[in-house]
Amino acid sequence: MMTMKKPTAVQVVFYAALLAGLLAFPLIVKGTFPTHIMIMVFLFAMMGVAWNILGGYAAMFSFGQAAFFGIGAYTSTILLMNYNVNPWIGLVAGGVLAALMGAAIGIPCSNLRGHYFAIASIAFAEIVRIHFNNWKFVAAAEGLSLPLLPESLGNFMFHSSKAPYYYIILVFLLLSVLICWYISANRMGFYLRAIKESHELAKGMGISFVRYRLYAIMISAFLTAMAGTFYAQYILYIDPESVLILPISVQVVLVAMLGGAGTIIGPIIGAAILLPLSEITRVSLGYKGSGIDMMIYGALIMLISAYRPQGVWGLLTTIGRRGK
Amino acid sequence: MHGKRGRILPYALTLLLSLALASAGAAADKVIKIGAVYPLTGNIASTGLDCLHGAELAVDIINGKYPDLNLPLAKTAGLPNLGGAKLKLVVADTKGEPRNGQAEAERLVTEEKVVGMIGAYQSAVTKTASQATERLKIPYVCSDSSSPTLTERGLKYFFRVSPHDAGFARDQLQFLKDLEKAKGVKIGTIAVLYENTEFGSNVGKQVLMLAPEYGFKVVADISYTANATDVTSEVGRLIKANPDVLMHASYITDAILFTKTFKEMGFNPKGILTFAGYIEPGYLPAVKADGNDIIVRSTFALDLAKSKPLVAKVNALFKKKYGIDMSENAARSFAAPFVIADAINRARTTEAEAVVKALLATNIPGSEMIYPWKGIQFDPKSHQNIHARGILVQIQNQNYVTVWPFDSAAAKVIWPFPAWKTRK
Repeated sequence: MMTMKKPTAVQVVFYAALLAGLLAFPLIVKGTFPTHIMIMVFLFAMMGVAWNILGGYAAMFSFGQAAFFGIGAYTSTILLMNYNVNPWIGLVAGGVLAALMGAAIGIPCSNLRGHYFAIASIAFAEIVRIHFNNWKFVAAAEGLSLPLLPESLGNFMFHSSKAPYYYIILVFLLLSVLICWYISANRMGFYLRAIKESHELAKGMGISFVRYRLYAIMISAFLTAMAGTFYAQYILYIDPESVLILPISVQVVLVAMLGGAGTIIGPIIGAAILLPLSEITRVSLGYKGSGIDMMIYGALIMLISAYRPQGVWGLLTTIGRRGK
Repeated sequence: MHGKRGRILPYALTLLLSLALASAGAAADKVIKIGAVYPLTGNIASTGLDCLHGAELAVDIINGKYPDLNLPLAKTAGLPNLGGAKLKLVVADTKGEPRNGQAEAERLVTEEKVVGMIGAYQSAVTKTASQATERLKIPYVCSDSSSPTLTERGLKYFFRVSPHDAGFARDQLQFLKDLEKAKGVKIGTIAVLYENTEFGSNVGKQVLMLAPEYGFKVVADISYTANATDVTSEVGRLIKANPDVLMHASYITDAILFTKTFKEMGFNPKGILTFAGYIEPGYLPAVKADGNDIIVRSTFALDLAKSKPLVAKVNALFKKKYGIDMSENAARSFAAPFVIADAINRARTTEAEAVVKALLATNIPGSEMIYPWKGIQFDPKSHQNIHARGILVQIQNQNYVTVWPFDSAAAKVIWPFPAWKTRK
């Protein structure tokens, strides 16, 4: 049903122009706030892409991505604060740890389908959150303030400008997209889709069901943990309430579903709509304390899920097809 | 069918965008812009709004002429040393999330060009917001966050006016000492009970650390999650430990649950001393008379008016503007604008280094404030107000009345806590 087409010339030009525009953005747009919004867009787009590998391709609807995000943020931060380990090494360590955690829950949970996997993932993330909330070694609920290091790429810390953060998270996002694209274009992608369509059929065809689902969880966890380390290095303060809570997991799912689950570009579109929307409504309406920004935000999500459950990308492709 | 439905989306988007654009920045004339970050949406929006009202009233008083108010800069319109320049609050919503605290503080400084910052109520948000202002070199005066760690970071541009949880813990222990002296009673043992997030565990830590210093023995150290639905085992442990005094740091729902369980199981220490949850507006309506005789820490109470007529005058203004009495939160946030305006006025400039220097030299006497403090002076290292202290209020006939410090008290403290059996 899905075939990998060679991109057309129009698509190549479009993506090249988009990338050039994104690269030039911090140079053209002055002011930290637009850059901050873009960083948040990329951060959640990256997590959406990572979620998509699980939810979009493998039909494992994880509502527990915050756990991987938090593990990434905490691992690199603890390594930096207690053992003076460079954050870049911490980034990889956090990714590996999250992938192992993913595998540890993936093995018992990989036979769970649909809602049951979603419930198990929520439970897992909540266990992690409650544990961190009480764990003295990671300062429990007090949270950790990162030590301010001199700014440099090596230290993964910048104070005078947000542009370096912008480029780093953009590279992370592109990396995630490449991985997702590679998976979807190769055997693993086809296997995952086969499993998604029919467990029994895939099993009958000799596809190792557990193994490929496990791969999907581990890759997704690794990428999400990378995003967590980025968050810690960017905000410079983490506590369980800001990196491990359920709303983060939900936001990630929303980003992917809104943009279009099971497509590479979908989560990016979702993040590009949702994050600026929530930031702009907050800035322009939130200070009145009436909550109207949240209402508009919620109403839009309802509109899209009611009228376009296949997401904005689905809407755009429908329009595109009709145009031809 | 499809065509019709597809048209709704663009309309919704256009509507949104136009709403966003409609709120462009206001014209800048001779005003001093101060950023105010508060949680104005989300589950503690009402508290955030309450804080904001306190700060807004302070700005009104600074900008207007109030000859009969003995508050800094009240008698003159605006800041006299800067040609009567007016203060303007630029408000931002954090939704109570640390990352928004950072983003909004940065936006207010770089785009709205604020020269000072106040807020953000939740300590975790104040942490990231003040880190942002520290990097951007903008003075931040906080009068509503109580985590001790905020002033332990060695920040150069961050100042706190209000007391912190370590101070509150000290206040309660001091109260017990004062009580021993005044009433000739003997208090030997304490149990600490606290919810396990940043706020509660910090209080617990402080009490455990300070109690021996005051000569009390801690006989129980119990933490729990604030959203627990049953606390009989915790109360069972308390009964077994049989302390003279219970010290309890809680939010509101757990405060209600514990009060009911204390009564059911007949837990009867000589005194119940508490933090935060027991003074939230929803507590008394839920427990009614069962809340009587419990003691809570506070920084402010309306009955301070008995020894401080200024409190009544300020509350009258607040009530006129917002239709309700000034709460503890509004009263705390009320302080920061005065402190920052006073420093800018003395510095005669909004330039950050000069303002920080002026803040360090702050010396506002206790008579020019609505709190029962000796004044406002900052510690040169931590930038914590050295005179900040709490008061203790006791619930008497379902009202909060100030009972300590004894010289500001509106009523005598009821001690010991009457047995549940004898209460109605």
